[in-house]
Amino acid sequence: MKKQTLREWLLTAPSFIWLVFFFLIPTLIIYAFALRPADFYGGVKEGWSLDAFRSLARPNYFTILWRTLFLSFATTLISLMIALPVGYYIARCKKSTQNLLLLLVVLPFWSSFIVRIYAWKSLLHPEGFVKQLLVHLHIISEETMLLYQLETVLLVMVYSYLPFAILPIYAAASKFNPQLFEAAKDLGMSRPQTFLKVFIPGIRKGIVTAIIMVFIPAVGAYVIPDLVGGPKTEMIGNKIVQKTFIDRNLPEASALSALLSVAVVIPIAALSYFQFYSERKQRTVKKRKSA
Amino acid sequence: MKRSSFPFIVTLLMLFFLYLPIVILVVNSFNESRFGGVWTGFSLKWYHKLFQDRTIWYALQNSLIVAVSASVTSTILGTLAAFSLHRYRTKLQKIHYGLIYAPLLIPDILMGICLLLFFIALNIQLSLFTIFLAHTTFCISYVTMVVLAKLHNFDFSLVEAAQDLGASGYTVMKRILLPLLMPGLISAFLLSFTLSIDDYIITSFVAGPSSTTLPLYVYGMIKYGSPPIINALSTLLLVVTFICVSITYRLTKEDAQ
Amino acid sequence: MWGTLEFEGISKKFGDVQALDQVSFSINKGEFFSLLGSSGCGKTTLLRLVAGFEQPDAGRILLDGQDITHLPPNKRPVNTVFQNYALFPHLSVWENIAFGLRVAKRSRLEIKQEVEKMLYLMQLEDQAHKMPDEISGGQKQRVAIARALVNKPRVLLLDEPLSALDLKLRQKMLLELDLIHDEVGITFLFVTHDQSEAMAVSDRIAVMHHGKIEQIGTPIELYETPRSSFVAAFIGDTNFFDGTVTETVSNESLLKQTCVSEEASKAINDYSKLTVEGLHPILCFNDKKLSNGELVHLSVRPEKIQISREKPDFHPKHNLFSGIVDDIVYKGDHTKFWVRVDDYRITISQQHRSFLLDQKPIRWKEPVWIWWHADDGFMLERYLESDEQLTQLPPEKIGGDAHEHQEGG
Repeated sequence: MKKQTLREWLLTAPSFIWLVFFFLIPTLIIYAFALRPADFYGGVKEGWSLDAFRSLARPNYFTILWRTLFLSFATTLISLMIALPVGYYIARCKKSTQNLLLLLVVLPFWSSFIVRIYAWKSLLHPEGFVKQLLVHLHIISEETMLLYQLETVLLVMVYSYLPFAILPIYAAASKFNPQLFEAAKDLGMSRPQTFLKVFIPGIRKGIVTAIIMVFIPAVGAYVIPDLVGGPKTEMIGNKIVQKTFIDRNLPEASALSALLSVAVVIPIAALSYFQFYSERKQRTVKKRKSA
Repeated sequence: MKRSSFPFIVTLLMLFFLYLPIVILVVNSFNESRFGGVWTGFSLKWYHKLFQDRTIWYALQNSLIVAVSASVTSTILGTLAAFSLHRYRTKLQKIHYGLIYAPLLIPDILMGICLLLFFIALNIQLSLFTIFLAHTTFCISYVTMVVLAKLHNFDFSLVEAAQDLGASGYTVMKRILLPLLMPGLISAFLLSFTLSIDDYIITSFVAGPSSTTLPLYVYGMIKYGSPPIINALSTLLLVVTFICVSITYRLTKEDAQ
Repeated sequence: MWGTLEFEGISKKFGDVQALDQVSFSINKGEFFSLLGSSGCGKTTLLRLVAGFEQPDAGRILLDGQDITHLPPNKRPVNTVFQNYALFPHLSVWENIAFGLRVAKRSRLEIKQEVEKMLYLMQLEDQAHKMPDEISGGQKQRVAIARALVNKPRVLLLDEPLSALDLKLRQKMLLELDLIHDEVGITFLFVTHDQSEAMAVSDRIAVMHHGKIEQIGTPIELYETPRSSFVAAFIGDTNFFDGTVTETVSNESLLKQTCVSEEASKAINDYSKLTVEGLHPILCFNDKKLSNGELVHLSVRPEKIQISREKPDFHPKHNLFSGIVDDIVYKGDHTKFWVRVDDYRITISQQHRSFLLDQKPIRWKEPVWIWWHADDGFMLERYLESDEQLTQLPPEKIGGDAHEHQEGG
């Protein structure tokens, strides 16, 4: 037994040590930095101070937080609404088509993120293709700015995170037993009823994964609001970057990051609790059955 | 049961939505005109300009150095991690798995600022080396997940069969494990490579003043103006990506069957 | 001398489960030996101990007198045919078969000769350069066997090799295995849960249950003279009767009563009369030499019992009962009847030796006579009531347990 454990340690050590050093410790450092006073030159002084956390109470921070959460929720919701029919459709295609469609969905993800955002920026540019077309069709006027609006940020966020919603939904849908649809029809359910009462509960694990995979990156978005958004679309990410590089106030940046980490941890904790709870329930049911 | 065409329509629209900007971008890279709204003729001048821009090549060089070194390191570390996670089911591995899984969930910006503060706290000078450290850190998780999935599908009775036929541990590794896992290792490497080449946010936090990478340089170009050579550059990047994906696709095709 | 296996006191525990409990027996050189039992009985564990993939907690394994218990698998002169074949997917059929020889660093010429010999033996010459995913299930199995045999192992281990094949192919491959065994002459250790498979090809079978060996014997010995209720019920189907010996009857006195001439071959042996609860007395051959008052558990195979509408003539050695037909299952070449006699439901299997439509078949709820010869019942040495679950009685009601109302022992 001793020999095995040594082998296990040796195999585990490299990645374990690296991650503790370059991931775990840095993550904890944020909270340390947030509790220190700021140095005029952009560093931190000795001692402890709650100034950084107090600075979070500024009124426009509340707006930023609210805006960030709202955009993230909206992105998640819209992505989910698109991902559900798409995932359902792909899962019901034959295998070769499935692979092709999945490849098409994933391909943009592999290309440069910045390039894709830039593509939208140039597309929605005042002299760009879309603007010219919409003006020509009299849908919008010449003065309307397609860029730098809240809707622009929402659109590009959905565009960027949609594959993260489609893949888990597809994965869950492909494990879903298609005969359940036939059984539902056999028992008299209509198609929308079947979708709501049979399909959605059946893939709920995939839905939860999709929500997590969209919401969390959305909450931390920086590039999108920075490139296609404007002053009206500032999110937490933008504020953190501003505090770090422009204001050079590391403790405040850390405090904001701590706030962001809370917005990230809560859904994950909720998910873990939800999983733990449903597994516990399944185990009690199994116990009762075998008793 | 007659299929509703609604999911099909949504899928089609979704694909159109996904590819429209990319297609326009590629088309515009060959557009004579400075502004993408009007097509004034086919031209390769933006590509010419691109190849003449020295700074871009410098940035690309840095990106490649970091990407290759980070990919090699993270593939090795991630593969070791995957083996230990697959083979052992102890409490240590549970913690190990948490350490590996967490970076995947955290938004890039948090990771970026964490690492920056870490380097500041340890008084480490920001440079290409710090970028390398950062990239390796987030790539390990992806590599581990890919290799773990491959190990999960790996038929370990093949190892027993090889032993049964007289093979020692080393022979098993050389003749059975490595050849069969190679496609997985390569796709993990390529995934790591693409993530590293493409990274902006984390890099922006931990890069030193003279260690510009390609994404950093391009970002600057985009934010403060939109010179059309970006279209040309983007198209080239897309082509490179496409090649990487094709290789991975072909390598993992056998598993999908 | 090559190919004898001995097991001495082998025990193995997995967590709380005792997979093998003090198993000791030996296998002779060149035997086709089967380990038979349901899942979890320990047969696969025992096989893996021989291959070297597990280590026993206690006991020794001797191959031709040499203790191989702690040898690593790659050093043992035995080879395994795996349940899922475990063919190397990245190597061709030829390379798969050559693998063991390559590892042993044999010369190129030797390898070529041996592999081609094996390809010829297994009729795989046309598949030699195909990849494993391009050949059929039956061919895969032959490659797996070839890959193992080419190394000339002293024992060939087969871990349920036929379970992945469909019925017709399974039957064909079973006979092929038998043929290969005859050709090659190596000791085969065959693991299966399918008793008809084991019975068809084995020289001897070890029936295993809960980590212990219930009985070892030839197929006929196991079928006709099962020592325990488990073996009696696991292999084939049977009827169980329990009773107490009330009388010992000599053969002579029985023969005197009959008009039927019978050879006095069993002249010195006796018969016992048993009192059975819920039935009138049964006569059975007293091979265990029991005396009055002793408890007996009797096993009578269904095909040994006759069934008819008309009452047969008297015979002193026949056990005759009348009853009502409770259930019938027609199986083409034979029919299974379940006849209710007092508190018992007795299973009878009737072979149809002539055209059935010329006869008036027995129907449900008909009163019938059943009888069997006293020589055809067999006394069991060990009996467990739970083994009755293994007999094939139809349920009495929907969702009910078939054995709820079965009386006796």
